[in-house]
Amino acid sequence: MTQPASPAPAPQPTNNKAGAVRRRPRLWAKTWPYLAAVGSLLAIWQLAATAIGKPFLLPGVVDVMPRLARIFTNEEFTTGFFKSLYRLALGYPLACLLGALLGLLGGVSKTFAVYLRSLISILQSIPPITWVPFFMILLGFGDLTVITIITIASFFPMALSVLNGTEGVNRTHLEVARTLGASRGQLLTKVFAPESLPAFVTGAQVSFGNAWRSLISAEMVGGASVGLGRYLSYRSEIADMQGVLLSIIVIGTIAAVIDLVLLEKLKRRLLHWRYVSGGDQ
Amino acid sequence: MQSLELKQVNKSFGSLQVLSDINLKVEKGEFAVIVGHSGCGKSTALRMFAGLETATTGEVLADGKPIAGPDPQRVMIFQEHALYPWRTVEANVGFGLELAGVDKKEKRARVNAVLDKVGLDGFQRYYPHQLSGGMRQRVAIARALVVDPEVLLLDEPYGALDAITRLQMQNELIKLWRGTGKTMVLITHDIDEAVYLADSIYVMSPRPGRIIQKLTADMPRPRARNSQAFVDLRQQIMDSLDIGTYSI
Ligand SMILES: Nc1ncnc2c1ncn2[C@@H]1O[C@H](COP(=O)(O)OP(=O)(O)OP(=O)(O)O)[C@@H](O)[C@H]1O
Ligand SMILES: [Mg+2]
Repeated sequence: MTQPASPAPAPQPTNNKAGAVRRRPRLWAKTWPYLAAVGSLLAIWQLAATAIGKPFLLPGVVDVMPRLARIFTNEEFTTGFFKSLYRLALGYPLACLLGALLGLLGGVSKTFAVYLRSLISILQSIPPITWVPFFMILLGFGDLTVITIITIASFFPMALSVLNGTEGVNRTHLEVARTLGASRGQLLTKVFAPESLPAFVTGAQVSFGNAWRSLISAEMVGGASVGLGRYLSYRSEIADMQGVLLSIIVIGTIAAVIDLVLLEKLKRRLLHWRYVSGGDQ
Repeated sequence: MQSLELKQVNKSFGSLQVLSDINLKVEKGEFAVIVGHSGCGKSTALRMFAGLETATTGEVLADGKPIAGPDPQRVMIFQEHALYPWRTVEANVGFGLELAGVDKKEKRARVNAVLDKVGLDGFQRYYPHQLSGGMRQRVAIARALVVDPEVLLLDEPYGALDAITRLQMQNELIKLWRGTGKTMVLITHDIDEAVYLADSIYVMSPRPGRIIQKLTADMPRPRARNSQAFVDLRQQIMDSLDIGTYSI
């Protein structure tokens, strides 16, 4: 679509498609501060590197970037990279599903809600990587251990968020459904579940942060022999500072892309009724 | 169609007595209106008919049989429209049919027919937040009508609307009801609304609520709001509510 250059009276958006036109400047308004944040971090890094002046101790941005550009031709790195994503792809959705189900159940049964809150407060006080030695003995070295740890670390923000969501369900919404003949199961799927969707989305975002952090740290402390975390700690052992820095960049970038692009898309999709323009709510 | 009855009903929430020895009978196809001071237990009484509340003592009957719980034959319309914000108008109205497992084609046809009746044809794809207050309440009414219940229970359905919209909605409600034989129970704060709509008017005392008076409005419809009969009935209600004039 082309925008008229003259300030001629723009047609008022009367349908929902018009919303898309207005979204573009908003997107840019959100993007540029983000780019500025990235830029300033890179600038601080480069300044520090120049000041220290010892590339083996702290290489500059310009030293690392060429290697970063070629990193996907390095087999050690790529196997680790895909291994980590594979573990995330199993552990994180599993945790979301588990958390959402438990949270929903808590919304229906008060007793279960109390039980769940106690369980969460216990699990919350145990840092996820402390499970690494335990599961290494129990499940051995590798995928199963790491995936289990991701699941433990990230199911509870989801459970907590959905639990709060279901407890906050509008009472009248439930009564409308009951007077129209809803069964208990229908109350769950047709009122509790959709009404908790915003909480689900928030839970998904918080859970993702937990999942990603526990994944990388579990790999770093030796939960597995391949993976991004393992690559990073190995690069540190052999004093390859460039390798360390580029691992950090990759780890940060993946998380940002998933959080800002995928989860944001998910949010707009699941809560799409909120983004329909017009009205006063 | 169903008749509704409260027989010597008492209701307490903890130590708070809300309803005291209420006797009330709404005949099949009758349009009953309950008026009373705020907090006197009107909603509580209506919620008993809906099966959402139980009596502490006494009997709550539909067609002479005790009401055990909610039933789609007795649908309640709430003051705050209570539409589901994540559902379109179409999906909100079709909700009851969806719960009953009515097939898609029939559901769509019935939803469209009801939307047409309440004057909202063409708004199927709108979300509640895209509608005006009056339109939302029309959707709430359509959502109740689509399941074709025998009883409609309305708890101050127009309380949140402006005066002009309210008058308009009263006319629409009468048109929707006439000839259907449905039993209606409506709660209102608005005395004119009561006189305009009702076959019979129950006036309740302040908490603990009792029925202090039952009045019959038998003027032919549509009613003239300034006719002598209308004005007299309004005055009677005001007297029994003990709203006099002030003295200088
Ligand atoms: N679930 C409940 N638990 C405790 N008290 C309640 C409950 N529901 C209602 N009450 C109390 O019962 C009394 C009557 O409430 P109700 O909603 O029936 O009044 P009302 O006549 O509909 O008032 P209004 O005209 O303001 O809507 C109020 O004092 C209220 O605090
Ligand atoms: Mg009330």
